[in-house]
This record gives sequence, structure tokens and C-alpha cells, in this order.
Amino acid sequence: MSIITTKNLSKEYSSKSFSKEKILALNNFSFEVESGEIFGILGPNGAGKTTLIKILLGITHRTKGEVKIFDNEINTEAYKMKVGYLPENHKFPNYLNGEQVMEFYGKMSGMSSADVGKKTNDLLKLVDMEKWRKTKIKKYSKGMLQRLGLAQAMINDPELIFLDEPTDGVDPIGRKEIRDILENLKDRGKTIFLNSHLLSEVELICDRVAIMHKGSLVKSGRVDEITHISDNYIINCSDVSEVIMNRLMMNFKATILSINEFHFKTDNIDELNRLIDFMRQNNILIRGIQREKNTLENMFINLIGSQN
Amino acid sequence: MIFLTLVLSTFREAVAKKIFLGFFAISTLVILIFLFLINVESVEGMVDMMGAAGDEGIRKLVIGFEVAMIDISYLLIITFCLISVSSFIPSMLEKGNIDLLLSKPISRTNIILAKFTGGVMLVFFSLVYLIGFVWIILSSKSGFWHFPFLYTILWLTLSFAIIYSLIIFIGLVSQSTILSILVSFFLVFIVCPILYVREATIFSLVENNVVQFIINFFYYILPKPNDINKITTDIITGEEVNSYMPVFSSILFMLAVLSASVFYFKKKDY
Repeated sequence: MSIITTKNLSKEYSSKSFSKEKILALNNFSFEVESGEIFGILGPNGAGKTTLIKILLGITHRTKGEVKIFDNEINTEAYKMKVGYLPENHKFPNYLNGEQVMEFYGKMSGMSSADVGKKTNDLLKLVDMEKWRKTKIKKYSKGMLQRLGLAQAMINDPELIFLDEPTDGVDPIGRKEIRDILENLKDRGKTIFLNSHLLSEVELICDRVAIMHKGSLVKSGRVDEITHISDNYIINCSDVSEVIMNRLMMNFKATILSINEFHFKTDNIDELNRLIDFMRQNNILIRGIQREKNTLENMFINLIGSQN
Repeated sequence: MIFLTLVLSTFREAVAKKIFLGFFAISTLVILIFLFLINVESVEGMVDMMGAAGDEGIRKLVIGFEVAMIDISYLLIITFCLISVSSFIPSMLEKGNIDLLLSKPISRTNIILAKFTGGVMLVFFSLVYLIGFVWIILSSKSGFWHFPFLYTILWLTLSFAIIYSLIIFIGLVSQSTILSILVSFFLVFIVCPILYVREATIFSLVENNVVQFIINFFYYILPKPNDINKITTDIITGEEVNSYMPVFSSILFMLAVLSASVFYFKKKDY
């Protein structure tokens, strides 16, 4: 079942106040997010990712197109009862302490005081912020604010959570903990919409991703499909002579990187074995053969590079 | 519930920014000065003298104090409250804060109304403290319990609400605390007093009908805090109020500006 559906979603901004010149932040953007998945949105700066999230949350108005969340048009505020949000560079009122932030945003989500109190205890424990609950947030570090922001986004036990750069400013251990929290949420059937610059992180936790560039959808699909294993083998070996190098290039179409490393591309395992036989016959010591994996980062760089 | 949470958060912000404390301190200072004044020998002598003239003498003295108090309170409201609440909207609109607020299940109309209600209630309670204490001191000292003086709380709150609606609008459009303060001060201290005395002063100097029409036009469309102040004084002194038009037109101004604020806020992308 689709939790989010957009059809031909477009957003135009005026480049300056009172200017007729328009900037297209979203261009006929259509996609779907399924219930219970972690969906990642990727793209370079200015691709329209945050604009997309803001339209889905009613913070920014769309110019045209359709948006459905929980199978309903987003004309009223009711759907926001089931939504959590952690904005990029969020700013909580700095006169509040951690507990008061949770209380305020919990009540703003329509929760009762009793429910907020109970949820606050659980969530502050979950994000490891319990001992700082009475400390004013102006004394918090960036990482602590992110943890609190994540807890705030979960206060109303939302079915759909939008996270805009949730690990920004968080140390590697904290990032791992946040990933674990997101996995845990997914196991509980929550849908997570994630915008992160950390592609390795997205690759680790997202089920599906959409790649945006200049307001348009460039590619979308399952992470394992996008980062499929390629037919390229990286071979490390003992030093090879120039003659052998030439034969590798001529007979096997290998790409020589150095005197002890080359790439060999084939989708036929017999071909690979023929290459290995050739190397062994010429007394070349094989140190390692590794099938190259197309990481999300590689794929992203290639894709965006080809679009520019 | 959500609306009330936002109203209370305005209070919390006022407490955190020491606005409430500031008003409490200034009000307390005014009350203490007042307490000191009515206990000094010369004033006590005046009270005794007026008392000798009977209830009417005491009544006149008490009302005289009350009228002075209205002017002091009006100045306090304008100078202190307007400065204090001018930051409410720009701070709400700060990036990262407004995004979160708009992601919650509350309409943009209710956000504006909650901020307006919060600010107005803040001033109302502050005035209850200031006017209420002055009234108790004055009444217990004179033995004349003049209840109409308490209406001042409502009239001054109304004056504040009218100007505050404009501050909200300017805050939304400009996102600037300084500009909100400047415009409201310019309106309250320069434009409104000039328009208030237009017939007595300007029209005797400028006889051109077109200019007079333009000045009258601005008088009728802009808020009239000075007229409301005069009406409040008339009510307390027991004089007949000539016209309540300034009150109604000022309320209309407030409603129009609040509607414009809601319209602008609903259309705006954040």
C-alpha cells in the first residue's frame, strides 16, 4: 500500500521578490512510497529534496500536481496527526529544556499530558538523552540536538516519519545508534522518508531510493538493484612484464592500472578462469580477485555527472 | 488543546525572555511610587481636606488619581509591551522553528490567532496586576471603591490588541522585530496623536479640502488609541461619551489587519 503518492508535482519559485523570473524547484515529480519501508531521497544541493519534503508536510505550497498521503489529499491538517518530522537545521525554542521540548511538540501533535509524559520517558531513554532532560537546550551540542530532534519526531508515535539530514553533526557511534533506531522503527511497521547526504548511510538502511537532480526524478528503485554487482573484476598480482601487459590488453581486453593491478570485464566465468590460467602459466602470483561493487556513491556520482 | 498549547507557549516565551518579569518589575515600581505618593504628608493632607468636603471631594480626588494612572498605564503599554511582543512573530518564523510548527496538525489561521491571543492575554494579566493593585490601594486608602476604574484593564487591553494586530502583520511580512517596533511607535506616537488633534490644529492651518479629506481618510481607517484613551477617561470620570465610533473603527482595523495577516501567512511558503 502506498503511503505517499505524488503525480506531476511541480513547484516554481520567484527568483526575487516581485520578479517574474521563475526557478523550477520541482518538475513533474511523480513517485510513491510504500508502507513500512525506509525510502531515501538523494540529490545534490538544490535538487529539490527539502522542497519536496516541505510540500508533503504543507510547509510549502505546490504550484501544480497531486499529493496523497495515507491515500488522502493533503488539504487539511488531519494527516499530520500521524506524521513526525525532523527538519534540517531545526531550531527549538532555546529557553526550553529537553523534556519541555518533548512536552511542547507532543501537545502540538494533539497528545494528552499523560501520554506525552510516558512517551517522553521512553524516547529520551531510546536516544540516550535521559540524563540531559532537565538541561536547557541552548547548552546542547549539535549531536544532542539531533538526538532530541529525532525523539521529538517520534513523540506522537507517527506512522510516517520525515527525517531531513538526521545524522548531521552526529559522531559515528551516534550515527550507528540512529541507524539502529530507524531499523527498529521499520521493524515496527513505520514508514521512514529519509533525506541524507551520507550515501553510505542511505545504502545501509534504505529499502528504496529516488535520485533527484534539478527538480526532476532521475532514477528510483531498490537499493540492491541500483547498487548491483558489476561484471568488472579487480585483479591484484605480482609485478608483470610489459610483454604480459600487452597480452593482457590484447587477448583479454584488460585495463591496466599499474604493474600489479588491472581490471578485467566479463560476464562469463570461463573467461575469468582462462585469464587465471594464463596468469599462472606465466608464473604470475595472484594476490586477489575481487568483483567490483557499484556503490550508491559511485552510481550517484556517475549519474549526476552525466546529467550536468 | 493544540491551540491552547500554542497560547501557553507565548506565555512561556514571555517568561523566558524576562518580559513578564520586566512588566512585573515596572508595575511594582509604579505601585510602590503610587503607594509612597498617597502616604506622603502633603497628599494625606489633601485627602483629609477633600474628605472634609464630603464624599464628592474624595470621589474627585480618587478619580483624579485614576485618570493619571490611565495615562501612566497607557504609556507603559505602548513603550514596554509593544517592544516586548514585537519579537514573538519574527522568532516564530525563524528557519527550523516555523517548519516544525507548520508540520503539526494546526491550521495557519489558528497559529496566528493563538499568537495574538497569547500576547493579548499576557498584557491583560499584566494590567490586572498593575491596575488591580492601584485600585485596591486607592480604594482602601480613600474608602471609595470606584469599580469603573477596573474597566481600564479591558480598554487598555483593547488598545494594545489593536496595535498588536499591526505588529503581527509587519512581523509576518518583514520578519523583523526592529521594523515592527519602529512602525508601531511611528503610528502610536506620531501619526495617531496628530490625527487625534487634526481638527483643533491641522485644519486651522490647512484649509485645503482635498488635504483635509486625505487626513480625515487616514483618521477613519487607522486605529485610534488616543480616542479610546479619552473614552476610557470619560467613562471613569462619569462624563458622557460623545461617540463610540473610534472604538468600533479601531476594532474593524484590528479585524482587517488580522485577516490580512492570516491571508498572507496562509499563502506564504516557508
